[in-house]
Amino acid sequence: MVSASSFQIDLPATLIERVKSGDASAFEAIYRRFERPVYTLALRMLGDTEAARDALHDAMLKAFQRIAQFRGDAPFWAWLRQIAMNEALMRLRSGERFVVSMESAGIDDDTLADDAPAPWAHADARALEHALAQLPAVTRSVLWLYHVEGFTHPEIAAAMRKSTSFSKSQLARGTTRLRTLLDPELEAVPCLAPTA
Amino acid sequence: MSSADRVTLGEALRALPLAAPPGDEWALLRERLLRERSHPVQSRPPAWRRYALPAALAAALAGAFVILRPSPAPAPATVAHVAASSSSNGTQAAQIHNAQNAANQGDRLAQLQQRSQALERWLRQTGRDAAPLQGQDLAAAAEIENLIGLVDVELAAPRQTRAPALWQRRVGLLEDLAALRYSNYRLAAGGQVAASWQID
Repeated sequence: MVSASSFQIDLPATLIERVKSGDASAFEAIYRRFERPVYTLALRMLGDTEAARDALHDAMLKAFQRIAQFRGDAPFWAWLRQIAMNEALMRLRSGERFVVSMESAGIDDDTLADDAPAPWAHADARALEHALAQLPAVTRSVLWLYHVEGFTHPEIAAAMRKSTSFSKSQLARGTTRLRTLLDPELEAVPCLAPTA
Repeated sequence: MSSADRVTLGEALRALPLAAPPGDEWALLRERLLRERSHPVQSRPPAWRRYALPAALAAALAGAFVILRPSPAPAPATVAHVAASSSSNGTQAAQIHNAQNAANQGDRLAQLQQRSQALERWLRQTGRDAAPLQGQDLAAAAEIENLIGLVDVELAAPRQTRAPALWQRRVGLLEDLAALRYSNYRLAAGGQVAASWQID
């Protein structure tokens, strides 16, 4: 069984208190632990290394500036993840990625039979990353937030200012598209089917 | 079907290696932190919060609150009356007083949650008609949504002990957002409110 979100790193309360008191070395310690989870989330959502770097910087800077608002009711990692997700979503909304994704033509809603072999089971990481990169940014973001970060459809819908059914349909479309991208034979089937 | 075939998409995605940024991002971030620390002016509230929101509140909230005015508070619990008239026992009075406080807090929490729902509903309904936010307004809206998301993270925590304060903050942020969007809503609907407070 693969572990849950890479964000789930518990920090000692003393470390957070040190950051609250303005200790930059304590913040560096936190940064080092969360650099990759934050960058990975941004990269998966935005699909662009430069945009992901910007999101990483801004998310970390905001975390530092707002650390006084963190009361410790929720884990720090969930708090930071929310900042990182919002940074990425803000960039999705303000850029063309969001528009393009919303119009993602050519993706149908047909879902394959549940017992179909899962092509991702046999795909290596590079192939899966390549297929992911070909999805529209919003679709990919929904897949990632749902499957990897464990957000629910209502939570994703609220973050994206969309309906729950939008989140569900993006997940279904993304899953179908990934199957097709990872198993080109699926795409070829309609062409081989006999004409009536 | 082999066991490998039963690997879920979530498992496959979670198994992907973490990506690393290309350079020494900490060095760059540290420079930025130092820069911002040496320019305290940047730690002041953003311009939109200093100017746009008060103006927007003055110009737009009056109208928005007419739409969004919460329903009147329920009548005070009768336990207070019971405490004053029928009990001379101090302990019993204290218990009743505590019960009254708890009931009042529960009422307050319910009111805040209702108001939060009403504001969210209104934002959803008017979102389709509102003019798209641009520039400073867009940044302001994103900032407010950011803060709402952070409050939601805290609210989602188990054993929440600060729910009323957090709900109060959530409502306040939603009101900020409503004020911001209301002016755009009026502008889109042909109103004349927005032009008077728009700040570039």
